[in-house]
Amino acid sequence: MNENTVNTINTEIAVLGAGPAGLAAAMSAKNNGAHVILIERENRLGGILKQCIHDGFGLVRYNEKLTGPEYALRDIKTIKSLNVPAFVNTFVLEVEKKENSFVLYCINEKGAYQIEAQALILATGCRERTDRQIFLHGERPAGIYTAGLAQHFVNIDGYLPGKEIVIIGSGDIGLIMARRLTLEGAHIVGVYEVKPEPSGLQRNIAQCLNDFSIPLHLSCTVKTVHGKNRIEGVTVVNVDESGKEIKGSEKYITCDCLILSVGLIPENEIAQSLNVSIDPDTKGPYVDQNMHTLVDGIFACGNSVHVHDLVDYVSESGTIAGESAVRWIRNKRKRNLIKFSHDNSVLYHIPQFVDFKSNNKIALYFRSKKTYSNTCSVNLIEKNSKTCLKKFKILRPSEMEKIVFDAQLQDNQNLMLQIEENYGNY
Amino acid sequence: MKTLTIKRKLESMGVHECSVVLTDQSICIAGIAESLATKNKAGWYAAKFHTNVVNNIITDKNMRNEDCEHEQAISNELEGLSYDVIIIGGGVIGCAVARELSKYEISVAVFEKEYDVAVHTSSRNDGMIHDGFAAKPGTKKAYYNVRGNRLWEPLARDLGIQFRRVGSLILFRTPLNTILYPILANRAKKNNVDGWELWSKEKVKKEEPYLLDEQFGGFYLPSAGIISPYRATVALAEHAVQNGVAVHLLTKVIGFEMHDGEIVRVKTNRGTLQAKLVINAAGNWADIVAELANDKYFSLHFRKGTDIIFDKNTGKWQNHVAAMPNFLQIAEKTKGGGLIPTIEGNILVGPTATEIAERVDYSTNQDDIKELEKHIRLNKKLNLNQVITYFSGVRACTYSEDFLIEKSKKIKNLIHVAGIQSPGLASAPAIAEDVVTMSLQILSSRKHILKKDNWNPVRNTYPDLQKLNFKERAEIINKNPGYGKIVCRCETVSEQEIRDALHSSLPVYTLDAIKRRIRPGAGRCHGGFCTPRVIEILAEETGKNFSDITKKGYGSNIVLQSLEDHASE
Repeated sequence: MNENTVNTINTEIAVLGAGPAGLAAAMSAKNNGAHVILIERENRLGGILKQCIHDGFGLVRYNEKLTGPEYALRDIKTIKSLNVPAFVNTFVLEVEKKENSFVLYCINEKGAYQIEAQALILATGCRERTDRQIFLHGERPAGIYTAGLAQHFVNIDGYLPGKEIVIIGSGDIGLIMARRLTLEGAHIVGVYEVKPEPSGLQRNIAQCLNDFSIPLHLSCTVKTVHGKNRIEGVTVVNVDESGKEIKGSEKYITCDCLILSVGLIPENEIAQSLNVSIDPDTKGPYVDQNMHTLVDGIFACGNSVHVHDLVDYVSESGTIAGESAVRWIRNKRKRNLIKFSHDNSVLYHIPQFVDFKSNNKIALYFRSKKTYSNTCSVNLIEKNSKTCLKKFKILRPSEMEKIVFDAQLQDNQNLMLQIEENYGNY
Repeated sequence: MKTLTIKRKLESMGVHECSVVLTDQSICIAGIAESLATKNKAGWYAAKFHTNVVNNIITDKNMRNEDCEHEQAISNELEGLSYDVIIIGGGVIGCAVARELSKYEISVAVFEKEYDVAVHTSSRNDGMIHDGFAAKPGTKKAYYNVRGNRLWEPLARDLGIQFRRVGSLILFRTPLNTILYPILANRAKKNNVDGWELWSKEKVKKEEPYLLDEQFGGFYLPSAGIISPYRATVALAEHAVQNGVAVHLLTKVIGFEMHDGEIVRVKTNRGTLQAKLVINAAGNWADIVAELANDKYFSLHFRKGTDIIFDKNTGKWQNHVAAMPNFLQIAEKTKGGGLIPTIEGNILVGPTATEIAERVDYSTNQDDIKELEKHIRLNKKLNLNQVITYFSGVRACTYSEDFLIEKSKKIKNLIHVAGIQSPGLASAPAIAEDVVTMSLQILSSRKHILKKDNWNPVRNTYPDLQKLNFKERAEIINKNPGYGKIVCRCETVSEQEIRDALHSSLPVYTLDAIKRRIRPGAGRCHGGFCTPRVIEILAEETGKNFSDITKKGYGSNIVLQSLEDHASE
């Protein structure tokens, strides 16, 4: 057997995924002096931003309204100027954990690569929940697509997936696609959201639905799909507060396409293969304030950790992961992790652990479990004390919030996050 | 006076304007019933008096359009052709028979009305190669199942498809169940099942650590196996084609021309052909084909089943097929289903069993998912969040609930293979052998038949990258870079594997056909990422437009129109 069939490569840091998180992570690792390799399974860098041709990206990071490709291009240019080796069309088949390193078994058109790295940064993004994961029933015709797939059809391939379209779920991509497809001449019959509140950002409800007079039906969902070859219609049904279908409220709606925007799931198959513990609330790895997972040497960032609303924060987490990974490979200091939990007022938060010997400036990201329309305080509960980190006039699960605070950490003292409704004045 | 007794009984069941005709060949019942349940109950009752039941009872519920899923184009491409054998139906039975017949110096064609083989029941089942224990002793089901089970292992090797003997475990739900062991063993022995064991609670725990704690050991049948039912059917068809069989897709039989008690010509939407022998392997339409030949001496009824497939990362939590049936209900018509590992590494849960009025109804509903929860709870690690898909299939059953595999008594050159419900997949290779024996008997009176000297026992296949180690992958990529280009991330399918499938001996250019053969889109993201890429490859290979590519043939286009065309409308 030819010994040279497999190319062997050594690096300090391997970044998996070249979407906004991976690009930011690779940049910051490189800027901090590490040797880094970027691996991307698609044919171009940029991740999902490539197909997000609408604007609104970069408001936090650049104070500008960029389109997705524009936002990505800025990072891609930097990556190129930094001479970070980027492997595109390259697929990681398997990752093996060695005592002091990780070995990635990768393939692309040119051959097979065995890449050994001291640290891994997982920037693998997320995938869309499918019709099967929300237990959509009825027949199985063509014409049922997730919003991201529909977006690919329209923005990358240049094709209309349908002309008379029902959208199920009010996630951001679905809202964006409602507007996009309207602009291309399709008719959006309506957006049907099973919950009593929309799950996308307020700004998207206003700019994508209201501005185009697209009806949003809350507490209403698609019950059954009809059509043999191509979808012909759906039965929608109203649901009560507990999410149960209200008998007799069924209505048949004619359509030739059904688009789903019913949530995103962090992609963590590689993390799981390396025994990285996953938070059931975020569906991403548990991380500390340095985006370090519970396995030494494996970092995670972006939507593989939790699903973000804004790309700016995705990039931010990549930057943290990149610099932390460099710090870690340089000193390999044993971490001292304390648990940072939340009570049931919080849907989820990041980080779920705090390395108390590390920097004490903690960037906290969280979503509330329900909508708080009265003023409320977000509290940090330590052993016997309760500190109000910040007050909010309104909190919604659909909008992620960020608080940066200095933690006065002590060993063996767990932290807890809590949202408290204040009925008094702000 | 037997008919009068039967008639009275049917009337007491709720059948109005009832008539009963009992002949040597069959029992025919007719009348009006209020529900499908009554109609079927009458059919099962009639089966006590004759194996072949024609059930002409009408129910209130209007039968839906019985036509197939696709409209067939009318043409005359096949006009005037002549075959020694025409097999109607490209399911696992039709394809297995075709492959078996390809060993002989005769001309054979398979007529399939759909866009691909294995579109109906053969792709809509759990992939289990049953051990043969569940079948009632003395039935054709029991006989063919055990024979078929033995044949599948070498057959799968020749076809180049995976087969794994995972074994099947029937769990005891009470300590008292253990005393059933001699009865269970006796049944296994009667059916000639290849081995059985009594497993203690501890043994079960050791073999299946994630099964529920509330089990009291079980009855283990090591011979049970699993395959991919659609890959197996496609492989049988491809192997048949490689050995000279013609497979005509989108070809529907619409009638027969008879002469002197024989079929002389077969009428299809693509022309009328001559045939020396016709094999009815039409699955859910087998009774219709019999009727077209004026030989309807059996009725079919339809039992729908739903299966759930779990994410591949659950596969490591289940090693064997496992079920916990209620032994009080074991005599009933359903097997009851269970947890089944799939050959691709998922866990499949199912199937359910519901009698339906239509031949084809693949819709799913939440009640069936709910019903399957009883199996899901058998494995402590499983929950509905890990579900990646679910689907339904329809079993074609006779009222005697046994296979019907025989030469027509009325038409000299017609063989019926009907009512091939579970364990039909497991039985297929054995059924094919016997159907070929019958075929040769009929043909030998008209023609001297020799075995082919050049019959290739091994299917020509393209590389299966799943079997390769890292170095072997590196080598194959060096030879053909397309194998290094991964299109489907969930199932790790490369571009070249898709192109290979499109250059096979039975290429079918639809998304679903590619999914069944090579699996892009069969994983957890369900085609969310790879669909545009697969469409591109299909468009490239066929020279068609992106918008011409379909999910499953006629009228199932994925996208409707290019943005430019729409804008200029």
